[in-house]
Amino acid sequence: MFPVSGFNFGRYLQKSCMKILVVEDEKGLAESIVDFLSREGFVCEVANTFWQADEKISLYQYDCTIVDLTLPDGDGFSIIETLKRIAATTGIIIISARNTLEDKIKGLEIGSDDYMTKPFHLSELNARVKSLIRRRHFGGSNDMIWREIRVQLKARKVFVSEKETLLSRKEYDLLLYFLSNIDVALTKESIAEHLWGDHMDSSDSLDMVYSHIKNLRRKILEKDGKDYIQSIYGIGYKFTAS
Amino acid sequence: MKLLQKTSRIYLLASLVIYFVVGIAFYRIIRTMIYEEVESRLKVEKRDFETYISIHNTWESNSYFVENKIDVIPAKEHFTRKAVFTDTLIHNRYEESLDPFRQLTFYTVINGKPYRVAIRKSMIQSYKLIEAVSAAIIIFLGLLMIGMFLFHRSLSGKLWQPFYDSLARIKDFDWTKDEKLKLADSNITEFNELGDVMEKMASKMQHDYKSLREFTENASHEIQTPLALINARVEQFIQSGDLGKDHTYWIEEIYHASRRMSRLNQGLLLLAKIENQQFTELEEIDFSEFVKNKLVDFEDILSHKQINVQIQSSDSFYKMMSPALADIMVANLLNNAIKHNHVNGLLQIETGHGFLQISNSGNVLKTDPERLFERFKKESSGAESLGLGLAIVKQICDNYGLQICYENIDSMHIIRVRAQSGTVK
Repeated sequence: MFPVSGFNFGRYLQKSCMKILVVEDEKGLAESIVDFLSREGFVCEVANTFWQADEKISLYQYDCTIVDLTLPDGDGFSIIETLKRIAATTGIIIISARNTLEDKIKGLEIGSDDYMTKPFHLSELNARVKSLIRRRHFGGSNDMIWREIRVQLKARKVFVSEKETLLSRKEYDLLLYFLSNIDVALTKESIAEHLWGDHMDSSDSLDMVYSHIKNLRRKILEKDGKDYIQSIYGIGYKFTAS
Repeated sequence: MKLLQKTSRIYLLASLVIYFVVGIAFYRIIRTMIYEEVESRLKVEKRDFETYISIHNTWESNSYFVENKIDVIPAKEHFTRKAVFTDTLIHNRYEESLDPFRQLTFYTVINGKPYRVAIRKSMIQSYKLIEAVSAAIIIFLGLLMIGMFLFHRSLSGKLWQPFYDSLARIKDFDWTKDEKLKLADSNITEFNELGDVMEKMASKMQHDYKSLREFTENASHEIQTPLALINARVEQFIQSGDLGKDHTYWIEEIYHASRRMSRLNQGLLLLAKIENQQFTELEEIDFSEFVKNKLVDFEDILSHKQINVQIQSSDSFYKMMSPALADIMVANLLNNAIKHNHVNGLLQIETGHGFLQISNSGNVLKTDPERLFERFKKESSGAESLGLGLAIVKQICDNYGLQICYENIDSMHIIRVRAQSGTVK
């Protein structure tokens, strides 16, 4: 039904389609998020206003809700509070332009799982949604399998063709980021931000991305894996089988 | 000087002057009255004497006048008609002392010969009277002054109490909090008026502060949201795959520009927030520990650039400040020291009593190092650097009374953050 990449994530996605509610008043942004996440196999619904969101969460059950804090007719925090009351299992990711510590703390206190500051990378949002669903549904104990690559999430171990591959912490994070974004073009900047946060904004971090990618590629190839990391000129990289 | 001290001092000084003048005037008046009395008596005696002379036309030291009371000596000097009053001291016959007398000297003719006559009256009793009265005046005025002074002090203390209460409340008032300023009611109109004005000003300040804060936050929201949209659309565009070389280049440029703008916006907002003192929570930060912990975040890039890190800590540097700002400050300083470092370069971190110093190797500066603390001032015109990092550090230092200086000695760049002397704990 959905163009789920060959990735095994679809093993449970296809069984029961993961439903996501996007609460965002900026229509274009909501559209982009929905477009991106739908390509990843999620069923998405949009609420542009507080009341739409309120209605939807009381009528339907979602696996994950992405909530913007500032809505024209209400506060995103109260949506989260309602959600926690009626559907405690729903994962919640806040997306906000407000980059204050108080908001982040308040968000976590009332039960949201993650906080992203605008502007964010769609690939990052995608990775976080998937990680959240993994944690929610499997307690993070399941394996991620894609072709000959298997990642034991709990033990943080990686097997390529059933041979254990030792990766550094950042290489492991990088691989996971790729596996969450199969067939997605990832910009160098989004990879750098994913690995080191946004405090390291310099050309050095892009060099580091390059060297980490080189090492990861080498390690996968050493264990008889294929080279899935494709570089896209001027932009970044794509993890793809084609 | 405190208000009460000042008024007490002025009061004391003024009453001293007034009492002094009053005392002297009093003394003068009494003295004049006594003199007048004595002189009128002397005049009567002069007339008695003249009557006696005119009847007897001769003078003998008879019993009429007691010793010392009258002197009749032939006049050698020139003769005047004037009668003159003088003060004089006469040797006491019985006691070894000089007694004050008032003397009336005049010239007269007895038996055809000129004589100078001096009639005297003792002033001992009068002087004693003056002394007694003066002493009484000094004592009474002194007591009055002390009494008035104490009364005045306690009265003004009571009167100004509401003022001091209000002052204490104003001092405690924090306009960054929601709590309204409430001043005590007083039965003095002026204080109530002052209180009303202060309360109005305080609520205006709170209101302005709040709207400024809301404005900065809303501005952030309003700018970040379209930027988020641009970013998202660009990312979608990148996904479409069939991009020509030109398109890739353009899209890359748009992507970079929007990211840069977003970072600029965030940096400027952060600066505004620091300036508005919106980071109010305080915690004691031990910088030598703090820097070491922060360095862990930079491990990757340090090993990537093969930078040699040297840490020296001779003492702890404690400072009460917002942990969020301490984090930003240290992260910016380290980031700066790494970004402008060579491969195989050197990063030295030194902490000691009241200072933190971060030095790195790098290219020799072409501009004045202090100017790099200004906004948008940067050494290299590289697009990567925003030129806000050090401006943010400077603003944080200014907020907490820290001194910061930048020195460039050959290839070493040294940034030193120092607590102002006297504030070191």
